[in-house]
Amino acid sequence: MIAVELRKLFRRPRTWITIALLNSLPVLVAVLLKVTDLAPRPGEGPAFLSAVLTNGTLFPLAALAIVLPLFLPIAVAVVAGDSVAGEAQGGTLRYLLARPAGRTRLLVAKLVALVVFVLVTVVIVAIVGYVVGTTLFEVQSLGATTAVSGTSLTPDQVAGRTLLSIGYVTISMLGVAAFAMFFSTLTDSPQLATLGALAVLIGSSLLFTLDAASDIAPYLPTRYWLSFVDFFRDPILWRNVVRGLGLQAVYVVVLLGAAWANFTTKDITS
Amino acid sequence: MVVRGWRWVVVALGLAVLVALPALVEALPADDEDVSPADLRAQVLASDDVAFSGYAISSGGLTLPVSDALTGVADLLSDQTALRAWYRGSDDWRVDVVTPTGETGTHRDASGTWTWDYADQRASRGDDPPLALPTAPDLLPSALGRRLLSEAGDDELSRIAPARVAGVDAVGLRYTPADPAASVSAVDVWVDPSTGLPVRVVVRSAGTATPALDTRFLDLDLSAPAATTTAFDPPPGADVTAERDLTDVDLGRQERADLPATLADLGRRSFDGVPDQIGAYGSGITVLAVSALPGRAAGSLRDQLERTPGAVVDDLGVRIAAGPLSLMVAGTSTRDGGSGTYLLAGTVTLDALATAARQIQEAAR
Repeated sequence: MIAVELRKLFRRPRTWITIALLNSLPVLVAVLLKVTDLAPRPGEGPAFLSAVLTNGTLFPLAALAIVLPLFLPIAVAVVAGDSVAGEAQGGTLRYLLARPAGRTRLLVAKLVALVVFVLVTVVIVAIVGYVVGTTLFEVQSLGATTAVSGTSLTPDQVAGRTLLSIGYVTISMLGVAAFAMFFSTLTDSPQLATLGALAVLIGSSLLFTLDAASDIAPYLPTRYWLSFVDFFRDPILWRNVVRGLGLQAVYVVVLLGAAWANFTTKDITS
Repeated sequence: MVVRGWRWVVVALGLAVLVALPALVEALPADDEDVSPADLRAQVLASDDVAFSGYAISSGGLTLPVSDALTGVADLLSDQTALRAWYRGSDDWRVDVVTPTGETGTHRDASGTWTWDYADQRASRGDDPPLALPTAPDLLPSALGRRLLSEAGDDELSRIAPARVAGVDAVGLRYTPADPAASVSAVDVWVDPSTGLPVRVVVRSAGTATPALDTRFLDLDLSAPAATTTAFDPPPGADVTAERDLTDVDLGRQERADLPATLADLGRRSFDGVPDQIGAYGSGITVLAVSALPGRAAGSLRDQLERTPGAVVDDLGVRIAAGPLSLMVAGTSTRDGGSGTYLLAGTVTLDALATAARQIQEAAR
């Protein structure tokens, strides 16, 4: 069932159009940086963007930081919101459930397909970022990269920590995916499910900026998204990374539980 | 319907457990120890050689009406600051101020400090000046607790309830300054009883429930960090500069000042590095600094203080309070300052400031 869902997802042109659109923003930023030679100061603008003019191998990280706040979660919400509601809207949900596999397995298969989509998307952003970065900007083949803490990182360390960042960003998107998937079981409209997840995302981002909401900030789904920067401190600051992983796990478990409770008892009419 | 609903019950129960878990862990009572306030203070003061590494959060509740030159200090006292610390000894430590996309690290060695600023890609070297503005490392609970308790009298100390801080059952100590001029109503310090290390410090001012400053460890590891972690070499390509300290700043010490031996019943004292033109008064956490102001600075500061909500303006000058911190420009009422204008700042009440200003005027006649 998982293989069927994966084939279905990656055979759709709109999946690849989404991924292509997602990559267009970092590429545009890279071109603008190359043309104008104007990078933001360190600590300003998207993380690591300041360093790419002198070290193009850091552009995969800058590309992730560029798409992380909005583009990537929108893409994830669109695909996840479509997962169940899209089948219902298209009238195919009844036929899917006619198979003996059961609703719980269908939900799990949809979730695994989503995780694979997020991972593929993030990896493609990183690869495109690497190709664009090393093509347009200087590459420090021998020199070391300066970490956020002012120490030097070897190219191997940079590569390893970039891989950790890719994994972390992928997992950070699972909360949004779980929200969209839960909403997708509540409605037959994929657009409504996507909008619901985006409302949660925007609400979380807004509350995070308010001092008055500081008590609930540790529980906001977007709270630890930027913590992939902590892989580039020296020593690595694991505290927020671990909390970010735990928080996403809690959201996935609770929302999938809710999706399961709703979907397995729902009357399927379409 | 009952059969259908069990799934929702499972989900609701799971959610309730997850939501309640942090509160339940927080509510677990911490163990107390039978130790006298004086002994606990002595343990704290002797904790200077306790090695540790940790992560701390400092929350300031003060809004300071300061100029652009002092925004760093104002931010420390009004915002939340995340601190990462590695401490091997009093002259071998590192404290990083962590922001979402950058950091500023202070590395202390035997002869001074390196400060690394990621935003500016700058490493600056400082040589341990005797007079300096507060910096982020001063807000670390361990450093602040030792500093604030250093001059506390035994009769000003009492024990308070223990608290669990960064996984440590920390015993509580309250320092209530006895001086009537004090604007700090209490300093609460929670201490790791096994090492004497302060793990949380709360500074309270009278009349408000919100602490003026609350700094605590969230993570604490009492093993010694590696020497390579605290050491620092400027990275290639960094802008390397010498740190500017307060001895380079004109604090009005070119102005002549005849200051009395006591002000508002606070005795004058001397500190290493403080020039004679600046009068330092008081002890413990009740201190007052007085400096003659050059004319232009006086006019500008007076204007700024007058615009601050709650400012008291009278024939003595203009004075304001931000939590336990108070500030006054006293002396001549000319808009451009002039001779006879003083800046008074400290952790004293506004009444004490007014008394001090009156006594300075009388001494000058």
